[in-house]
Amino acid sequence: MELAILIGVLLILMALGVPVAFALLGSAIATFIALDFPLQVVFHRMAAGMSLFTLMAIPFFIFAGDLMYRAGIADRLVRVADACFGRSRGGLGQVTVGASMMFGAVSGSAIASASAMGSALGPLMKEQGYDGDYAVNVTSTAAIVGLLIPPSHNMIVYAASAGKGVSVGDLFLAGIVPGVLTGILLMVVAWLVAVKRGYPKGKFPGWEQFTRAFVWAIPGLMTAIIIMGGILSGMFTPTESSAIAVIYTIAIGLFVYRSLDLKTFLECAQQSVRVTAMIMMIVAAASAFGYAVAILEAPTHLANMITSLTSHPIGVLLIVNLLLLILGTFMDMSPLIVITTPIFLPLVMAAGVDPTHFGIIMMINLGIGLVTPPVGAVLFVGSAVGKVPIEKTIKTIWPFYLALVIALLFITFVPALSMTLPNMLG
Amino acid sequence: MITLARKFTKQASEALIVVGTFGLLLMTAIIGWQVFGRYVLGASPNWSEQAAVTLMIWYISFAAAAGVREGFHIRIQAIESFVSVKMVFALRRFSEFVVGAIGLCMAVYGVKLCIATWHFDIPSLGFSRGMGFLAIPISGALIAIFSIVRLLEATFSNEVSEEEKA
Amino acid sequence: SSESGLDSRVIFSSDSHASDYPTVMATREMGRLLSERTEGRLGIKVFQGGQLGSERDTMEIMTMGGIDMGRINIAPFNAIAPLSIVPVLPFLFKDVAHSRRVFDGAPGRKVLDSFEQYGIKGLVYYDCGSRNFYGSRGPIKTPDDLAGMKLRVQNSDVSVAMIDALGADATPMYIGEVYQSLVQGVIDGGENNWPTYFTERHHEVAPYFTRSQHVMTPDMMVMSLHRWNSLSEDDQVILMECAEASVLYMRELWDAKVLASQEAALAAGVQVNDVDDITQFSDLMRPIWDRFATSNDQKQLIEEIEAMRDVET
Ligand code: NA
Ligand code: NA
Repeated sequence: MELAILIGVLLILMALGVPVAFALLGSAIATFIALDFPLQVVFHRMAAGMSLFTLMAIPFFIFAGDLMYRAGIADRLVRVADACFGRSRGGLGQVTVGASMMFGAVSGSAIASASAMGSALGPLMKEQGYDGDYAVNVTSTAAIVGLLIPPSHNMIVYAASAGKGVSVGDLFLAGIVPGVLTGILLMVVAWLVAVKRGYPKGKFPGWEQFTRAFVWAIPGLMTAIIIMGGILSGMFTPTESSAIAVIYTIAIGLFVYRSLDLKTFLECAQQSVRVTAMIMMIVAAASAFGYAVAILEAPTHLANMITSLTSHPIGVLLIVNLLLLILGTFMDMSPLIVITTPIFLPLVMAAGVDPTHFGIIMMINLGIGLVTPPVGAVLFVGSAVGKVPIEKTIKTIWPFYLALVIALLFITFVPALSMTLPNMLG
Repeated sequence: MITLARKFTKQASEALIVVGTFGLLLMTAIIGWQVFGRYVLGASPNWSEQAAVTLMIWYISFAAAAGVREGFHIRIQAIESFVSVKMVFALRRFSEFVVGAIGLCMAVYGVKLCIATWHFDIPSLGFSRGMGFLAIPISGALIAIFSIVRLLEATFSNEVSEEEKA
Repeated sequence: SSESGLDSRVIFSSDSHASDYPTVMATREMGRLLSERTEGRLGIKVFQGGQLGSERDTMEIMTMGGIDMGRINIAPFNAIAPLSIVPVLPFLFKDVAHSRRVFDGAPGRKVLDSFEQYGIKGLVYYDCGSRNFYGSRGPIKTPDDLAGMKLRVQNSDVSVAMIDALGADATPMYIGEVYQSLVQGVIDGGENNWPTYFTERHHEVAPYFTRSQHVMTPDMMVMSLHRWNSLSEDDQVILMECAEASVLYMRELWDAKVLASQEAALAAGVQVNDVDDITQFSDLMRPIWDRFATSNDQKQLIEEIEAMRDVET
């Protein structure tokens, strides 16, 4: 009965357009009333849910990502990618994916990546005769690679939702190979589509230009080394490394690239506060909701339902992936991670899946959700920046979806892709 | 009257974002100081973690309240493309009503939460859990006020608000 | 109140330990007895493994009535209930038998009852034995042996003050990092009970174990007053009897676990010793007692506990 209230109220409120954070709170409140629990506990869970040390990395990575874009780090990475991949047919497509991979290695936010790459490469593509829908398709789907390549604030959300035993450091390591694999698959698709549409070849700018571009990008790329090196050597916790990334990016923007002024800086901070509030409010509300989920043993009930269909690991993983893909079409990533991790994780662990591996599966799976309508934040940002209506982009996006789904299947069924690095270095 | 309320709440939400920005920058400074303390001064401050974590409750709650006024919270709009304009209007008002009611709940039970934990110490910080939680009822009250103003301005003014045009 | 259905709903109980830990098994035993004696009207559902949050979280939630019952260590209560600091004081108890007399007797009851003003009904103690020093350098027999040693402690003010007073260097650290830190020589030792010492494999790298029995921080079974008050007086009596019965069950499991880990550690080559003269240690603790137990109530409780040192029951 209480379980029906919990799920029913959530689904109804969300479907009717109540903001997700408030739908979660509303559902928790209704369930607590049914359980005769005092309602101050809802808000205790909410406050506790937004005040975890590890979650502090979320605002920091969002802030750092936006700063990197405005400080010109993104532009410099594009120049490096151009020197590396610009020569092939439809080279700017490859450049976009390559630059997204590099930007993904310094930034923890896929939305920052989509807007940075879209603004830097969109106009260039238009100039060289690429269609707008192609530009949006590449920039949006390539941004997903940044979810897998560390750092990634969504991995931190996952580690916090998974509880004890999943380390952010391991997740960061586990994402590298799957991230590169996904990037390569997207490059192949970008090339195939470009060839079919007859897009132009770029030309190699020469070694001197290449070296110059690379040297200029080094201060930006250092962020990746500071973050990963700091975490792996035990110098910083992931939370501290994200704060260091902010401070370092401010320093580069002010003193090296000299691209940040006070006005841009404050605008950027304000925008980061908004995005942080958006995400953290959901994380906090989901913590209250999650308490009700735990009390009502919802994971056990769902697990029983799924295992009554199949108990084979491959079957369980396929069902879980399918459910996540469906949920991902109409919900955003962070809320889905916080809501579904406590439900699915025990289930897949019982099927023998490592929690770190499952985290990577979730990143790519829910990342696909970020570029699918009706709710796809990265696709929205991509098409807004590229000034192409979503209806137009989604007609031609399917080859890129296909690349992402192939990547999802590889990542799901070849655990070694994810687990080799953390097992070696973790 | 409604124009006045709209103006007031707009300024209030802008102020909240400014406070939130200050919170984010202060939090960056605190964690930066923690790392600096450990490697340069040889000892990390014992208050920094708890302080930063408590600060987070405050500025996120405030910015979240501003988000109700500005309408930036993530929501699923899928249903709106399948129903009539009138229905969209009704759904938006329903959503504002629900958010307002939850804000009211946050205010009332947030106060109870603060009272219940007012004398519980936060280790290594000079104040109590209840004081740390105080942002919840304040933000709840603001959310309730913002929702009521949005409801009223939509119901009683003929012009469509900026957020709805977008 | 009967109309809310609270008096018949199963009791939700939390525990941060795993399913096979003595406290969790004892809570299940308590539930079995309760359901037997109420002919199935009441029962207990245990949420183990910290599913409902950290110990501080569950304690706070319980004060508000958001969870019915739980096994919580006395340490988190230090932040809310002043009397709870007393049983945490170092070198307060002579031995485990002394601590059990105190917990089962009037002083223990007094601490449990002091939670009532915070919305918590204290039921019983699941005492978890004594904590002892261990190290990698050599046997610790006098405070001089501790001088300059870097000793890992739990992150609590009392623990840090105790180690500092003994002349060692207190290093608060998360338990999972202790093994590696012992290997690397970041720390020279720690202090814990036998089962944790053995299951965390600290005996492999810090093989000198001193039976100092310096702290006996107990676990407790506590209940939300909200839920307790919803029970009829008869049911309250039955529940308390079941809780007390589960204490005996828990102690059997606990003592067996201590013995087993002790034997296994000895078989692995651990060297055990006693301290030369316990008063050399405990005399250094007076300033700490005075620093943390400042009120008359706390001081009186200390006296009552000391008066039970040699009383056999
Ligand atoms: Na990334
Ligand atoms: Na989607």
